[in-house]
Amino acid sequence: MKLGRGSSLGIFAEMPDAATATSTDGSAEAALAFLTEMSPDLRGAAILDDDGAVLAASGEDEGWGEAARALLAAADAADPEPAEQIHVGNESGEVFALRHEGLAAVAVTERFALASLILFDMRQALRDLAIARGGES
Amino acid sequence: MPPKPHRVLLDRVSGYADEAAAYMRRRKIARRPFARLYYANGRATDHDIDSKDGIALFDAADRLVEVAGKPRRRRP
Repeated sequence: MKLGRGSSLGIFAEMPDAATATSTDGSAEAALAFLTEMSPDLRGAAILDDDGAVLAASGEDEGWGEAARALLAAADAADPEPAEQIHVGNESGEVFALRHEGLAAVAVTERFALASLILFDMRQALRDLAIARGGES
Repeated sequence: MPPKPHRVLLDRVSGYADEAAAYMRRRKIARRPFARLYYANGRATDHDIDSKDGIALFDAADRLVEVAGKPRRRRP
Protein backbone atom coordinates (compact mmCIF):
# COMPACT_ATOMS: atom_id res chain seq x y z
CA MET A 1 0.00 0.00 0.00
CA LYS A 2 1.29 3.40 -0.93
CA LEU A 3 1.71 5.87 1.88
CA GLY A 4 1.64 9.45 0.82
CA ARG A 5 -0.25 12.66 0.63
CA GLY A 6 -2.90 11.08 -1.58
CA SER A 7 -3.80 8.21 0.75
CA SER A 8 -5.59 8.28 4.07
CA LEU A 9 -2.62 6.52 5.69
CA GLY A 10 -0.47 9.40 4.50
CA ILE A 11 -1.73 11.32 7.51
CA PHE A 12 0.26 8.97 9.77
CA ALA A 13 3.21 8.71 7.40
CA GLU A 14 3.63 12.49 7.51
CA MET A 15 3.11 12.84 11.23
CA PRO A 16 6.28 14.25 12.81
CA ASP A 17 7.92 12.25 15.60
CA ALA A 18 7.41 15.15 18.00
CA ALA A 19 3.65 14.63 17.88
CA THR A 20 4.00 11.25 19.56
CA ALA A 21 6.83 12.25 21.86
CA THR A 22 6.47 12.17 25.63
CA SER A 23 7.65 14.54 28.31
CA THR A 24 11.11 13.02 28.54
CA ASP A 25 12.85 16.36 29.01
CA GLY A 26 12.92 15.48 32.68
CA SER A 27 11.73 18.71 34.22
CA ALA A 28 8.41 19.30 35.89
CA GLU A 29 7.85 22.25 33.54
CA ALA A 30 8.23 19.93 30.56
CA ALA A 31 5.77 17.46 32.10
CA LEU A 32 3.31 20.29 32.65
CA ALA A 33 3.78 21.57 29.10
CA PHE A 34 3.17 18.03 27.81
CA LEU A 35 -0.02 17.80 29.83
CA THR A 36 -1.26 21.18 28.66
CA GLU A 37 -0.52 20.37 25.03
CA MET A 38 -2.16 16.95 25.14
CA SER A 39 -5.42 18.01 26.78
CA PRO A 40 -7.44 20.73 25.05
CA ASP A 41 -9.99 20.69 27.87
CA LEU A 42 -7.36 21.53 30.45
CA ARG A 43 -7.73 24.89 32.18
CA GLY A 44 -4.71 24.59 34.42
CA ALA A 45 -2.54 22.08 36.24
CA ALA A 46 0.20 21.72 38.79
CA ILE A 47 2.75 19.11 39.73
CA LEU A 48 3.73 18.63 43.34
CA ASP A 49 6.41 16.59 45.04
CA ASP A 50 6.16 14.28 48.05
CA ASP A 51 6.20 17.19 50.52
CA GLY A 52 3.47 19.08 48.69
CA ALA A 53 5.85 21.65 47.23
CA VAL A 54 4.89 22.90 43.78
CA LEU A 55 7.38 21.78 41.11
CA ALA A 56 5.48 23.42 38.25
CA ALA A 57 2.15 25.16 37.88
CA SER A 58 0.12 26.83 35.15
CA GLY A 59 -0.06 30.16 36.93
CA GLU A 60 0.66 31.38 40.40
CA ASP A 61 2.52 28.62 42.28
CA GLU A 62 1.26 29.51 45.73
CA GLY A 63 -2.43 29.44 44.83
CA TRP A 64 -2.05 26.04 43.22
CA GLY A 65 0.05 24.63 46.05
CA GLU A 66 -2.37 25.60 48.79
CA ALA A 67 -5.47 24.41 46.94
CA ALA A 68 -3.87 21.15 45.76
CA ARG A 69 -2.59 20.32 49.24
CA ALA A 70 -6.08 20.96 50.62
CA LEU A 71 -7.60 18.57 48.07
CA LEU A 72 -5.07 15.82 48.81
CA ALA A 73 -5.54 16.33 52.56
CA ALA A 74 -9.34 16.13 52.18
CA ALA A 75 -8.97 12.88 50.23
CA ASP A 76 -6.61 11.44 52.84
CA ALA A 77 -9.01 12.36 55.62
CA ALA A 78 -11.82 10.42 53.93
CA ASP A 79 -10.14 7.02 54.24
CA PRO A 80 -7.20 5.44 56.08
CA GLU A 81 -5.76 4.35 52.72
CA PRO A 82 -4.28 7.16 50.60
CA ALA A 83 -6.29 7.81 47.43
CA GLU A 84 -4.46 7.23 44.17
CA GLN A 85 -6.90 9.19 42.01
CA ILE A 86 -9.32 11.96 42.87
CA HIS A 87 -12.09 13.12 40.56
CA VAL A 88 -14.44 15.89 41.59
CA GLY A 89 -16.95 17.52 39.27
CA ASN A 90 -19.24 20.46 39.86
CA GLU A 91 -21.05 23.08 37.79
CA SER A 92 -17.93 25.11 37.04
CA GLY A 93 -15.50 22.36 36.06
CA GLU A 94 -13.83 19.11 36.95
CA VAL A 95 -10.80 18.51 39.13
CA PHE A 96 -8.46 15.55 38.75
CA ALA A 97 -5.61 14.56 41.02
CA LEU A 98 -3.27 11.66 40.58
CA ARG A 99 -0.43 10.32 42.71
CA HIS A 100 2.46 8.37 41.27
CA GLU A 101 5.77 7.45 42.91
CA GLY A 102 5.86 10.32 45.35
CA LEU A 103 4.65 12.88 42.82
CA ALA A 104 1.19 14.33 42.46
CA ALA A 105 -0.48 16.04 39.52
CA VAL A 106 -3.58 18.17 39.89
CA ALA A 107 -5.56 19.37 36.89
CA VAL A 108 -8.66 21.46 36.35
CA THR A 109 -10.67 20.89 33.18
CA GLU A 110 -13.89 21.94 31.56
CA ARG A 111 -17.01 20.08 32.63
CA PHE A 112 -17.52 16.77 30.80
CA ALA A 113 -13.86 16.33 29.84
CA LEU A 114 -12.93 12.74 29.02
CA ALA A 115 -11.71 11.50 32.39
CA SER A 116 -9.87 8.45 31.09
CA LEU A 117 -7.82 10.52 28.64
CA ILE A 118 -7.00 13.23 31.16
CA LEU A 119 -5.88 10.64 33.72
CA PHE A 120 -3.90 8.74 31.10
CA ASP A 121 -2.01 11.92 30.14
CA MET A 122 -1.44 12.83 33.78
CA ARG A 123 -0.11 9.35 34.53
CA GLN A 124 2.18 9.51 31.49
CA ALA A 125 3.54 12.91 32.52
CA LEU A 126 4.18 11.77 36.10
CA ARG A 127 5.73 8.48 34.99
CA ASP A 128 8.22 10.27 32.73
CA LEU A 129 9.00 12.79 35.42
CA ALA A 130 9.50 10.08 38.05
CA ILE A 131 11.88 8.19 35.74
CA ALA A 132 13.84 11.36 35.02
CA ARG A 133 14.04 12.26 38.70
CA GLY A 134 15.07 8.73 39.58
CA GLY A 135 17.84 8.97 37.01
CA GLU A 136 19.12 12.23 38.46
CA SER A 137 19.46 10.95 42.03
CA MET B 1 -57.69 3.49 7.31
CA PRO B 2 -55.20 6.43 7.61
CA PRO B 3 -55.22 8.37 10.91
CA LYS B 4 -56.94 11.71 11.08
CA PRO B 5 -54.56 14.64 10.30
CA HIS B 6 -54.88 16.22 13.76
CA ARG B 7 -53.92 12.86 15.32
CA VAL B 8 -50.63 12.86 13.35
CA LEU B 9 -49.85 16.36 14.57
CA LEU B 10 -50.70 15.52 18.19
CA ASP B 11 -48.54 12.37 18.06
CA ARG B 12 -45.63 14.34 16.69
CA VAL B 13 -45.90 17.07 19.35
CA SER B 14 -46.17 14.48 22.08
CA GLY B 15 -43.12 12.66 20.65
CA TYR B 16 -41.04 15.87 20.79
CA ALA B 17 -42.22 16.54 24.34
CA ASP B 18 -41.11 13.03 25.40
CA GLU B 19 -37.69 13.58 23.78
CA ALA B 20 -37.28 16.92 25.55
CA ALA B 21 -38.26 15.42 28.91
CA ALA B 22 -35.76 12.57 28.46
CA TYR B 23 -33.02 15.06 27.48
CA MET B 24 -33.71 17.17 30.58
CA ARG B 25 -33.63 14.08 32.79
CA ARG B 26 -30.27 12.99 31.36
CA ARG B 27 -28.89 16.52 31.63
CA LYS B 28 -29.92 16.76 35.27
CA ILE B 29 -28.18 13.48 36.08
CA ALA B 30 -25.04 14.41 34.13
CA ARG B 31 -24.76 17.81 35.80
CA ARG B 32 -25.04 16.46 39.32
CA PRO B 33 -21.87 17.22 41.29
CA PHE B 34 -19.76 14.23 42.31
CA ALA B 35 -16.60 13.41 44.23
CA ARG B 36 -14.95 10.06 43.69
CA LEU B 37 -11.79 8.64 45.18
CA TYR B 38 -9.96 5.71 43.63
CA TYR B 39 -7.48 3.54 45.50
CA ALA B 40 -4.51 1.43 44.42
CA ASN B 41 -6.36 -1.85 44.95
CA GLY B 42 -9.10 -0.81 42.52
CA ARG B 43 -11.56 0.26 45.19
CA ALA B 44 -13.53 3.47 44.59
CA THR B 45 -15.65 5.55 46.92
CA ASP B 46 -18.28 8.14 46.12
CA HIS B 47 -18.73 11.08 48.48
CA ASP B 48 -21.99 12.94 48.68
CA ILE B 49 -21.89 16.74 48.55
CA ASP B 50 -23.61 16.89 51.96
CA SER B 51 -21.26 14.49 53.72
CA LYS B 52 -18.37 15.72 55.87
CA ASP B 53 -15.71 14.37 53.51
CA GLY B 54 -17.69 15.53 50.49
CA ILE B 55 -17.83 19.10 51.78
CA ALA B 56 -14.04 19.17 52.25
CA LEU B 57 -13.45 17.70 48.79
CA PHE B 58 -15.85 20.10 47.05
CA ASP B 59 -14.40 23.10 48.91
CA ALA B 60 -10.89 22.17 47.83
CA ALA B 61 -12.05 21.53 44.26
CA ASP B 62 -13.82 24.91 44.16
CA ARG B 63 -10.59 26.60 45.23
CA LEU B 64 -8.67 24.81 42.48
CA VAL B 65 -11.22 25.82 39.85
CA GLU B 66 -10.87 29.39 41.08
CA VAL B 67 -7.08 29.24 40.82
CA ALA B 68 -7.26 27.74 37.32
CA GLY B 69 -9.30 30.75 36.23
CA LYS B 70 -11.64 31.18 33.34
CA PRO B 71 -12.04 28.52 30.64
CA ARG B 72 -9.64 28.66 27.73
CA ARG B 73 -11.12 29.70 24.41
CA ARG B 74 -11.99 26.79 22.20
CA ARG B 75 -10.06 26.36 18.98
CA PRO B 76 -12.14 27.31 15.95
